[in-house]
Amino acid sequence: MDIFYDAATKVKCESILNWKKSGKPVVGYTCSYAPPEIFHAAGILPVRLRGIETDGTDIADAYFGPFICSFPKCILQLAGKGMFDFLDGAVITPGCDSMRRIDECWRKAGEDHDGIVPPFFYYFDVPHKSEAHGMRWFKNELKLMIKAIETHFDVKITHKGILAAIKKFNIGRRMLKEIETMRWAKDVVVSGTDVFTATIAGAVMPRDEYNQHLKQWLSGLRRRKKSLSKNKIRLMLAGSASDEINLIRLLEENTGAIVVAENICFGIRAEGNEIDEKGDPIDNLAKHYMDQSVCPRMYGKYKERLTSIKERIDRARVDGVVMQNIRFCDLHGAENSLYERDLEAAGIPCLKLEREYGPRADSGRMKLRINAFLERIDAKSNQKSTEPLSVSA
Amino acid sequence: MNIVAGCDVGSLTSKAVIMKNGKIIGHHIIKSKPRPKDSADAVLEKVLSLAGISKNDINYCIGTGYGRDRIDFVDEVVSEISCHGKGAHWLLPTAQTVIDIGGQDCKTMKIDKDGNVKRFMANDKCASGTGRFLEVMAKVLGISIDELGNLSKKSRSPITLASTCTVWAQADVIKYINSGVPIEDIGAGVNTAMAGRVAILVNAVKPEGDIFMTGGVAKNVGVVSTLEKLIGKRIKKVRKADPQIAGAIGAALLSMEKVNGKIAA
Repeated sequence: MDIFYDAATKVKCESILNWKKSGKPVVGYTCSYAPPEIFHAAGILPVRLRGIETDGTDIADAYFGPFICSFPKCILQLAGKGMFDFLDGAVITPGCDSMRRIDECWRKAGEDHDGIVPPFFYYFDVPHKSEAHGMRWFKNELKLMIKAIETHFDVKITHKGILAAIKKFNIGRRMLKEIETMRWAKDVVVSGTDVFTATIAGAVMPRDEYNQHLKQWLSGLRRRKKSLSKNKIRLMLAGSASDEINLIRLLEENTGAIVVAENICFGIRAEGNEIDEKGDPIDNLAKHYMDQSVCPRMYGKYKERLTSIKERIDRARVDGVVMQNIRFCDLHGAENSLYERDLEAAGIPCLKLEREYGPRADSGRMKLRINAFLERIDAKSNQKSTEPLSVSA
Repeated sequence: MNIVAGCDVGSLTSKAVIMKNGKIIGHHIIKSKPRPKDSADAVLEKVLSLAGISKNDINYCIGTGYGRDRIDFVDEVVSEISCHGKGAHWLLPTAQTVIDIGGQDCKTMKIDKDGNVKRFMANDKCASGTGRFLEVMAKVLGISIDELGNLSKKSRSPITLASTCTVWAQADVIKYINSGVPIEDIGAGVNTAMAGRVAILVNAVKPEGDIFMTGGVAKNVGVVSTLEKLIGKRIKKVRKADPQIAGAIGAALLSMEKVNGKIAA
């Protein structure tokens, strides 16, 4: 678990530094819609760009302005501070409009801060609709990106190589799926903080190394007997992108709650879903990344997402959903309100929290709301337990 | 003796209530000190003396408020949202919607027939719509926070604050003072701005049934009457106890449930 914590809590973690020592390139990407399998197939380490370890946003504020999500700001802040000096490339994706703006803001900041823009700086477009035309567009974008990587890094990305990468990533995906399944049990043997940490680590560590450590960790989990969920309120964390372990820790530490599911960008949301290993690998990547529509960035798929979150709530026996959104995150702000309306109507308590990402996170204010929410769930379950059971004659 | 206590250490004031067999035998409010522990100790000492009992006579004590985790003498801590729900229910048993305006945040909650919170909504970080907003404005106007509420009654032409941001509104108020605008018109404008912010939160939870208000701002007639107009519903008033101590009452009631072996919220 130590290596996962290192990878999840340090921008320059041991795994990345060791990879760099071998002389092989590293490319950062900003969104879960960019397939890391393609970089892996090119012998490049794909690293999900994150905003941890920031202590302010003074550099980023100058380019982004005040009314925008603090997550991309923290990423640009790290870039401005030279924390991404290990990157040989960066791929920017329009996960949302704030994330898309990293593209121009990073390049503009590069005019004022020498050497902060990696040599390979690529904009990878992702459509907002997964219908046939969107799928064709996305496949074309995948092919264009492959060509750009091949040209810049002087490598050849073959279908065979992509298929091998898919297979390798699927090994990890299967293990994450098993871990998620373990959290559906009445007696959960692993904390949400640990699972979240392990999942984030998968977004930065070399896949071979990750699979090997995940295998060891999973084998230990299979042997665990002690329940961590006894008499605890089971929570799901949903909403804006978050890679902050402290957010899950805030929900779990000294609260009488355990996080048994996530519906956020860095958690096991779609990470446990395998990619088809038969047929054209580009088609399969496109199908996997576009078809899932797990993120509210995808238009017209709310009903599918609601069905999916409800299924996951049922499977994981979730007592309440904590839905956070980073300030100015319109996508999750709006979607959280819809979820709240529909889940509350289905009898699932929901808590909406607006917050800042990174150094501006205000845990004191959030703690009060979380405590009150848990007390609400507690009172509800106590009422249920004292209500007389209906007995049929 | 079934004596229980509740201690609510807020950001502006600290409150303590002692109850015996379901009746208040002592309550007190002090201005909060920089350290929550000091506030809690001071208000407890005072309320013990008012009730004529010693600390050892208390069977159970629950702490609440932003400083709840720093109180030494409590047996348990509960969030102020749950405590205000319980306290409001005790003060007005028919209450279904509770508005609590505290020193640094504002919450609206819906409660069930036992005073348990069913739903709640709290304001975000901004200080507008909180007791702190009124405190800052009263200071600028050079009056006490208690006097501020009555200004709305005397006002003939309330000003409109251009911004509800506490910092910008403060600049606005200073501008009006310097322009010679009567203080009652400025005060009424401040109360209206406050009510406007709270109304957004109240309307967001779709208030139902009897509405009750807790916290110190419940005593500000200017804010309450404007809020009633904005939400189009009456806010019920009771004389049973000071609405500012509702959180401490709720904490004491939850203590009593613990002592009686009931399931506490």
